Amino acid sequence: MSEPFKNPLVSTDLSKGSVLLEVDAAVYPLEALYGASYVFIDRAFVFLEKPNEQRYRVTISPKKPGADEAALQALVGEFSNELLSCAWRAQITQANRAVIEAVTLRAVAGAMGPPSLSELANFDFTDAPLEDPLGIAMSWEEKYKKKDKKPDAPVAAAPEKTAAPEKT
Amino acid sequence: MNLSQLPKLDTSTQAFFRFRSLPNTKTVLLTGLEGNYLVLKDDEFARFAQGAVEKGSPLEKRLSDANFLRATFDTQKAADKWHDRRRFLDYGPNLHILVVTLRCNESCIYCHASRANMDAVQTDMSKETAEKAVDLIMQSTNPNVTIEFQGGEPMVNFPVVKHVIEYAREKNKAAKKQLEFTMVSNLSLFDDEKLKFLLENKVQICTSIDGPAHLHDKQRKMPGGSAHQTAAHWIKKINQAYETMGLDTTLYHVEALLTTTRDTLPLWKEVVDTYAELGCRALFLRPVDPFGWMEKTAQRVEYPRAEYMEFYRNAVDYMLELNRKGTQILERFASIFLTKILVDDPNFLDIRSPAGPGIGQLGYNYDGKIVTCDEGRMLYEGGDPSFVIGDVRTSTYRQIVGHETVRAMAIASNLDQQPDCVNCTYNPYCGTQTTHHHKNFGSIFGRMRESTLCAVHKGIQDYLFERIGQDDPAVMDVFTKWTTVRPRDHFLQDAAKG
Amino acid sequence: MTRVSFDRSLYQGPCVDEAVKTFSAHASFQLTEEPKAWVVQLDAKTPELERQIAGELGNYALGLTIRTRGSRTP
Repeated sequence: MSEPFKNPLVSTDLSKGSVLLEVDAAVYPLEALYGASYVFIDRAFVFLEKPNEQRYRVTISPKKPGADEAALQALVGEFSNELLSCAWRAQITQANRAVIEAVTLRAVAGAMGPPSLSELANFDFTDAPLEDPLGIAMSWEEKYKKKDKKPDAPVAAAPEKTAAPEKT
Repeated sequence: MNLSQLPKLDTSTQAFFRFRSLPNTKTVLLTGLEGNYLVLKDDEFARFAQGAVEKGSPLEKRLSDANFLRATFDTQKAADKWHDRRRFLDYGPNLHILVVTLRCNESCIYCHASRANMDAVQTDMSKETAEKAVDLIMQSTNPNVTIEFQGGEPMVNFPVVKHVIEYAREKNKAAKKQLEFTMVSNLSLFDDEKLKFLLENKVQICTSIDGPAHLHDKQRKMPGGSAHQTAAHWIKKINQAYETMGLDTTLYHVEALLTTTRDTLPLWKEVVDTYAELGCRALFLRPVDPFGWMEKTAQRVEYPRAEYMEFYRNAVDYMLELNRKGTQILERFASIFLTKILVDDPNFLDIRSPAGPGIGQLGYNYDGKIVTCDEGRMLYEGGDPSFVIGDVRTSTYRQIVGHETVRAMAIASNLDQQPDCVNCTYNPYCGTQTTHHHKNFGSIFGRMRESTLCAVHKGIQDYLFERIGQDDPAVMDVFTKWTTVRPRDHFLQDAAKG
Repeated sequence: MTRVSFDRSLYQGPCVDEAVKTFSAHASFQLTEEPKAWVVQLDAKTPELERQIAGELGNYALGLTIRTRGSRTP
């Protein structure tokens, strides 16, 4: 009889009731990792780490303690499927963004219709502060003025940690 | 047939296409962006994919007529058709579900609505709540508005049903909507007086029939009697009343819905026969959903979808046979998909892209909470408020339909962002349900390859295209009849009279 | 005591702070900063409770980070 397939990227820890998955950062964008993790936070504790630039590490522990090996393998399997789905969706939405936005806009605008006079009367026309992450609304002087140079935070490579949360 | 089986590809002659081998037929289905389609034999597909279609050949003409060749691609036609198929985007919700009570006198094994006992009067909608719901409904940007009474058993709270009908008709004098009412009832609380009111007020009546009496009564328990016998009695009586009123009974009759359970699967012939005998001309072979009591009873009720598809094929084959012999009966899923394939989009809210929640339908719970759709209120009743988007007492119409949950659902049910769907041959005709995914996967996006909903939609379209590909004139004649939409103007309320 | 180390490139600092505030009634917390991480040490009445609070804290910080960042990186 052949040995059951062991995925080298997955390891379970029955004492902690958790399963650990190593994720290749070149294959799965952070968007996808966040998306898949979010789907699981209602049934499991999900913790993310980045041991090095090439990898993410995900620790998943079912909220209900006492999961056995099969349950942990099933959980990480489902997480992997969700991760793949999110990764592909991230690509598709990027490629089809224009059509998705156009259809959604048409649908919501079609359903909402124009504002009524009373809604317009209550509308706040004052300028709310806009988010401007690229600094487009800033003047050139403001954007490139000299800043007080602060020393960079130390960036020495932190040693790889075991899956957190860890018991000390 | 698979592209990798072909020795040489030349992709310079084809217009955009998706393709799918139809199981066991040695044919390949092509579909295009605008919902155009063509069924090719394996060797024809090979020539198409290799760019080796002979000039002036019948195959070239078929491909050109169906808009699959780059040289003759009709952009205007494709754009117009794409736009037409999505014209529902320009209008707001047309289906408004009023859950007037959760109380119900029947107890169904699969109850998706989580019905309440008959003494749970706190689950009755009040007249004030109902009026506020109607006030919002009349603000929809859709000129067509259907108010659907649901429960529980809506006839339990008949005074509020009556009040809504009268109040909405009055309000419609100013709103001037194409207004309709639908009653979804098990019929067991009907009496002559109530029926008279519903008929006089042109309320469409819809019920549930789970198949032959022994199955129906096993699944739908009614204390002190047979749920099937009672429903059958009233179906016949209502249909007779339509006839007496001089209405065309091929068009005006009680609509009935089936909920397919594990016990239904071997009974496909009995189910169809029961519907035919009751004079129900449409049969909706709906699989069970994961909502409400199904969480507890799934082990007894659920089944693999491959078994459902066998049931579906047997039942529809048999319905086609009955039609050939002169009994008019159609299957609703087939009718919806065939209309999309052969004619145009019929705006069925659960199978369109993006789907209906919030932008095509709204639900108003007995307690005044507004939900995106029927399934949203089923989840809410089970303790999950994810699809609650307002309250009739405090929300404005534009707040409701512009709610972030509505926007998220519109994006998540858009097949052009969905892995698998984006490449699926059935993309132009299909749709997904975000509530279904939310329940099964914990995400409104879901995963199509694991979705029972996807398995059913793909399975049905495989079946229909296999049949279309066979090009049997008798079958195509029935299919054409199933796509003929005849307006039922009798059910339209007269806005002027109120 | 349980030590949870939130990688700065994956979790937003204010979200970790918010998570700690939210659970502050259920355990005692100590926050420190490391060059690459926000570190939270927590003490609860029982090991079971500590596991649960640490897990929920992590989920909360992650959920808030995802919600806050939208389509941007942290």
